[in-house]
Formats: sequence, structure tokens, C-alpha cells
Amino acid sequence: MNLLPGIAPAVILVMWRREVLRYVRDTSQLFGGISRTILWLVILGLGLGAALREIEGYTYAQFILPGVITLNVLFASMQCAIALIWDRQVGLLREVVISPAPMLSVALGKLLGGATIALVQGIIPFLFTPLIGVEVTLAAFLLALVVIFSMGITLTGAGIVLASRLRTFEGFGAISNGVIQPLYFLSGSIFPLRGVVGGVGFLDIPEHLRVELRQLGIYAIGGGWVVQLPVWLQVLVYANPVSYMLDTLRFVLLDFRQLPLALDLGVILLSPPLAVIASAHAMKRMTTSR
Amino acid sequence: MTRKNAVETAGLSHRYGDVQALSEVSLEIYEGEFFALLGPNGAGKTTLVNLLMTLLPPDGGQAWVLGHDVAKQPEAVRRLLGVVFQDPALDDRLTAVENLEIHAVLYGLPRRRRAEAVQRAVAWAALEEAAKRLVRTYSGGMKRRLELARALLHDPRLLILDEPTIGLDPQGRLNLWERISSLRANGMTVLMTTHNLPEAETCDRVGILDRGKLIAVGSPGELIAANGGEGATLEDVFIALTGRQLRDENATARDLMVSFARRGGEHTR
Repeated sequence: MNLLPGIAPAVILVMWRREVLRYVRDTSQLFGGISRTILWLVILGLGLGAALREIEGYTYAQFILPGVITLNVLFASMQCAIALIWDRQVGLLREVVISPAPMLSVALGKLLGGATIALVQGIIPFLFTPLIGVEVTLAAFLLALVVIFSMGITLTGAGIVLASRLRTFEGFGAISNGVIQPLYFLSGSIFPLRGVVGGVGFLDIPEHLRVELRQLGIYAIGGGWVVQLPVWLQVLVYANPVSYMLDTLRFVLLDFRQLPLALDLGVILLSPPLAVIASAHAMKRMTTSR
Repeated sequence: MTRKNAVETAGLSHRYGDVQALSEVSLEIYEGEFFALLGPNGAGKTTLVNLLMTLLPPDGGQAWVLGHDVAKQPEAVRRLLGVVFQDPALDDRLTAVENLEIHAVLYGLPRRRRAEAVQRAVAWAALEEAAKRLVRTYSGGMKRRLELARALLHDPRLLILDEPTIGLDPQGRLNLWERISSLRANGMTVLMTTHNLPEAETCDRVGILDRGKLIAVGSPGELIAANGGEGATLEDVFIALTGRQLRDENATARDLMVSFARRGGEHTR
């Protein structure tokens, strides 16, 4: 009956359902997703956008839309994964690890649960797109969901690996400040790697300069400054896997990207299976140590 | 060689780094027996129990649960065990029914039998009224009853109880004790760790662990006769064998988490 060792559909389903039920009952998470979106997209986006005008032809709020989605995914995935630390010491995980259920299926249920929550939380910013003047076609929306789901799996998996290495936990603050925010700020979410930042009163860029810039990979639209991040910051952004996921998301939603497409797609396609393997391994490790 | 005992260990040892948590423990627990494992803090009770639950691999020696080798047939061993931990191992953001459903799936109960098994467990724990409430609203006694019912849901052959009555009020303690006694009457094998010596005195046999070694095994009457004599209690025997010295231990990761939870915990729970 069981063709794949370690795959028990009923176990995957019941562990997935558990995560979703916990999310549905914990309204603070939904509230957090909405308030985060309003703070970053509406207040920072429109507020800073009033001073910055445009990045590569996009308003600042439009530019950070994929970043805000990513931020919601980061929080949802990490919160779901970090709960394992609790779960292992004073929660259900102890009951799970002494059961005969295969750990791979338990991990898959957890990952799919985290990714589902991330998907729901990641959809929240879409509700605000009319406010910032982004039109999302159905096709772009569906593609975005695929990217968000891949991100959710990957980041929940990363969170599980992290959780398996932490013995105790006395607050989510350390995770938020030490993991989520660095990944967010260093993913090109709120500033471009390089490009033209437009301002009021600047002359339009001459066509020949625009062509030259394009050859350098800088797409100038309208008039503005050509900006480039300091090298050390570039290195950090390039080293951050979240940058590539975010870049794909921005490409899908705004038709704008700054990193090689092959790398973007490579990360989106390859990181979820890696996350499955790494987190199943991490959870197995959690079961054999105290 | 066929081994028919509920539990059998031969020279079972385990060490954490430099600490020899369990050394050369050879023990037999017979089927249908009610066995209490005693010992000061850090004596190795938890290590022994974790080895039997196949959570730890033995460093030395062997152990069998109902004839299955814990090192070689962990899955078979796991199916035969029902376990109640000292601190609740429940998802307190789910209802009792949802917690039981998860258990039924984890232990591979066929779909058609799950609902009925869950209902039976709810009734056994006398939690019908509270079955659809979140477990976080339960008292300590209700959680313990739920956990005991859950441990029995898949018809285990050996029940392992880690300090089952700790932290309960006298009513809760009495109620839980009656439930455990009724299992005993039905022929269930029970292995219980405890610090409660009057409870241990009602068990069929008692094993005393100290510093990783099994220093005494026998019925409470035998141990009293051998170590205390007329008028002594099991507590006198226990102190005579293990001394009066305090066994202070550092807080474990779990202790830290439990105390954090008591202070209010956090939303990620």
C-alpha cells in the first residue's frame, strides 16, 4: 500500500491541518500581517515615495510591494517553524516523536502548513494594490502565488533547521531582529541594487545615455539619479537567497528585476526540495536527542 | 531465545558525554505487572524510559519490549507503547478531540475506526462536555486525564507513566489513581516513574535507580524486609539505600521553557 517509504498521506494531512487550525484561531497573526502591510506599504511606501518619487519608473510603494509580501512570508514561516522549540519541550512534538509515524511525513505536514499560512499572509498586500496603482493580472497573481508558496516552503524549512538548533526560547524578538529583519533588509526589498531614482525637476535622460545605461543593465525611465549600492552591501544582498526569491516576485508582479533570471528561477525551483530534505533531517535529529 | 517479558534489559548503558547516565542495568518487568521506578533526581529514570521508548540508542547492552529489540525494531516497539509524560505533551491551541485525532493518525488507526476511538477516549476521560474546547482552558487534572486516554487510544500493551500524579490536587490525584488502578485490574502492564513513595508502595514491584545503577528490585514488602525491617516504610528503605544528600541539578532546557510558559509564554506557542 505504501510505495514511498516515509510518506504517509494521512500523517501529512493531519499535521498540515494542525498548523492551519492554529493559524485560524490565532487572530493576532492575521492582524500582524495587515498592520505590517499598512505600516510598510501604505505609510512608508506612500510617505517615503512622496520624497523619492520614482525608482526605475515605479513609485516607491510599487517598488516595495514584493518586499512587503516577502516580509509577511518571512514572519509567517518563521513563526510557524520556531513554534517547534516550544512544541519539542512543552508541546505536542514529544508525543509525535515517540509515535511510529514517519518523521519525513511529519516534517512535510509542518512545511506545507507553514507554506499555506505564508501564502495567506502573503496575499494580504494584494488587497492594497489598487491604493498604490498596481494592476495585477490573474496570470501574474497565480504566478506570484507559486513564487510565494516556494518561498514559504523554503523559509519554513530554514526556520525548522534553526529551531532544531535552539534549545530554549524566551521570546520571538530575537528571531525577528536577528533573522527576519536582516533577511528582509538585505534582500533588495526596500532599495534597488542599482538604478535610476527619479526626483522632481530633473531633466529627462537623453536617449543615447538611456541606451548606454541599458547596456550596463540599468533601466532608466524618466529622469533621475543613477544610484548604486556600496560594494559591501551588494555582496550581502547577492549572498542572501531571499534576494533571488524577491527578485522573481518583483519580476512577476512589476515586470522588473535586477538579478540574473536563471539564478532567480534556480532558487525558486531548487530551494523547496532542499528545504524538505534539510528540515526532515533536522526534525529527525530533534527526535533522537533530548 | 524468545523473550516474553513486557520489558527486559541486559547490561543496558547510556552516557551523555562524560556522564554515565545509566550503567549496566538488567531488569525484567513481567506482563500484567505494575512496576514503579524510583530514584533521586538524575538517577537515570528518564534515560531508562527514553531508551525503552526508542528515543535514545543504547550505548551498551540490549533492551526488549514484549520481545522486540528497541535498537533493531523501534517501530514495532513504539506501536506497543502508550506514554504519558510528566508535563503535558498536548497542543493547547487545539481541542481535546483534535489532539486525539492527531494521535489516532500518528498510530495508523484506519480511518473508519478513528472517530469511534476518539469518542471512546473522550468518554473514558470524562471530558464529553469539554471535548470541543481548546485544551489551554483545561485544568491540570483534565489535561492529565486526556493524556492518559490518548495513551490508551491505540490499545498499547505497555503503559509508561512519567510521574503521572505530580502537580495534581488530592481529588485529581485520587481520580487519576483510580483510573490507573482500573487498567491494572484489566491486565495492563504499567511502568511508572515516581517520587511518591506511598503510591509506589501499592505497586507489584519497585526498582530503585541511583547514579545510573539499579540498586534494588523487588516487591515493596521484600525491600522493606531486606532493608528496614518491621515497621519501616518504603521511604525509609529509599533513604537508607540512596542517602540523604540533596541531588541538585541545573535547570534543563525543558525546565526553562516550562517556567517561561508559566510566566505567560508567547504567541508562538
